[in-house]
Amino acid sequence: MKPTGTPRSGRTTGALAAAAGVLLILPLAGIDAFLLDVLTVGFFLAVYSGSWDIVGGIAGQISLGHALFFGTATYACALLTSLAGWPFPLAALAALVLAVGVGAVVGYLSAPLKGPFVALLTLVMGEAAHEFFLGQTFLSPEGAYSWGGEGGIPVVLSGAVSPWTSYYAALAFLVLATWAMVRVARSQEGLIWTALAGSELSARASGVNVSRHKRRAFLVSSAIAGAAGVGFAAYVGRATTDDFSLELSFQAATFAAVGGRGTVLGPVIAALILHLLLQGAGIPPAGRVLLYALVLLVTLRFFPRGVAGTFRERARSRRMVRAPEENG
Amino acid sequence: MTAAVNPLAQILLDGLFTGASYALMAAGLALILGVVKVVNLSHGAFFTLGAYVAYVLEAKGAGHALTAAFLSAVIAFAFGVFLGKSFINPVRSHPFSITVGSLGFAIFFEQAAQMVWGPYALSIDLGPPWTTVSGVVIRPWGVLSFLVSVGLLGGLSLLLSSPWGLPLKLIAEDEEIAGSVGMDVEKIRYLTFGAASAVAAVAGALLAPTSVIVPTMGRVPLILSLIVVIASGMEKVWSIFLIAVGLGLLSNLSAYLLAPHWSYLLLLGVTGLLLVLRPSGLAAIVPNRDYRRER
Repeated sequence: MKPTGTPRSGRTTGALAAAAGVLLILPLAGIDAFLLDVLTVGFFLAVYSGSWDIVGGIAGQISLGHALFFGTATYACALLTSLAGWPFPLAALAALVLAVGVGAVVGYLSAPLKGPFVALLTLVMGEAAHEFFLGQTFLSPEGAYSWGGEGGIPVVLSGAVSPWTSYYAALAFLVLATWAMVRVARSQEGLIWTALAGSELSARASGVNVSRHKRRAFLVSSAIAGAAGVGFAAYVGRATTDDFSLELSFQAATFAAVGGRGTVLGPVIAALILHLLLQGAGIPPAGRVLLYALVLLVTLRFFPRGVAGTFRERARSRRMVRAPEENG
Repeated sequence: MTAAVNPLAQILLDGLFTGASYALMAAGLALILGVVKVVNLSHGAFFTLGAYVAYVLEAKGAGHALTAAFLSAVIAFAFGVFLGKSFINPVRSHPFSITVGSLGFAIFFEQAAQMVWGPYALSIDLGPPWTTVSGVVIRPWGVLSFLVSVGLLGGLSLLLSSPWGLPLKLIAEDEEIAGSVGMDVEKIRYLTFGAASAVAAVAGALLAPTSVIVPTMGRVPLILSLIVVIASGMEKVWSIFLIAVGLGLLSNLSAYLLAPHWSYLLLLGVTGLLLVLRPSGLAAIVPNRDYRRER
């Protein structure tokens, strides 16, 4: 992968390094267990939002069923470890493969579609998966809670993991996954995706096989969303139908819209901050999603390019104003 | 539903009654698609709104199908005009903002309803049977919802073929010409959005007695309306009616023969198939150029 984008300004990299440093020493500064938990979940959610941006922002294929990939991974982890008795690492690998497989199917089916139709198809597929698992009971042992339905299925890990280990593992995962996503976004492939999102017609006119690259975007995106799902399942220890819910798909699109579609870093940071603010304040799930929807509507109406997008636009126009002066 | 003497005929009759109201809702969605030219995912929320209005009236002891339908229409029209004027119209040319934003409004409403009325299922008394014809129970709500829905659909059909409907048809055909002959296109758009939302709320209020009233209840009729709109068109009100009644029967039958949640799965499957097999689907109805702007 060859970086083709313009080099990032040193200030952004510095700010990111500082943020990572703060997250690194935060547990040592003695934050309570609740906040540690909120942050750990937030890291997985941030990666999941970033993965939405690969397909929804950079490649411009509005997905409203992104939870499908996440839920596939969590359910595969749960079913394989608790029902089939597989060891967790093997189940995690299988879950990743399955999530990518689902991504391949969604990509194949939605590649010929455009704009709102991709959104409709992905929404329908996500809802179907949610409805299916909601009505499915996998095991009903006598004298114990049955597995499946709304309560979900437990994920079995071989040993107990301390909250600290989970926190640092999740943080490492966030940093690694975000780095990978930024690299992909700035690669040749990412450039083609951006062209696709800009205008499918012009991309096709320049000899790009549009369908193939759309499918690839879904593959990459589902792999990362699946990885986030595996991590989340391992940490929470349970796969529930919430993992397939329209609300979760909607959250990914919301974080991306707020952070700035097509920037990768914007959605990741927006997910982290919004989740930390609302979950950290102890707002119940219904209220949280309500506030997300409100933030989304305001953002779409007044900042159509999101926070990071608006900043980037402003910086670019400033640079363009300054450039002639420096040259002349 | 209590065990009827003739279950299959009962289901077919109830399917016809509910299908008529679904047709009304689908006609609203088609109108939005034709005139406002957006795929509106908030349509189901207005259905839910209607059902909750009916529930609140019933709980306050003022429950009557017609009162509920009228009141919910007024409330939904106000909400619809506000949403259309302040959000849908300004972001109309961005497919992302429209799809995700209208879904955002639907989810906003679902969560608000959950906070006000709770996540659990509420219900309204079906009322005493009106008559029984050869083992099939006919209840007032069914007859009433059928008559109101068919009446409103007929009214819409008349409106579209009368001189009054000309602005709507012209905007659907070519908005630039409509604007150039002096029509206030934006105003007609948000009024249409409001009226279509009101119609969805009426359908919700009428169907409230047979529905399980939960915050997410609007998703099923939304998906059903999407199928109708993809398979039919804007102007052909009678084909909207026939497809909606067919889907109403299908979903009632599958709920009866399999389990209630299979009817939603079936509708989702039909939508997916239609989208995959007819990728031009909605594009055939909506002039293509609006969707060519990807961002």
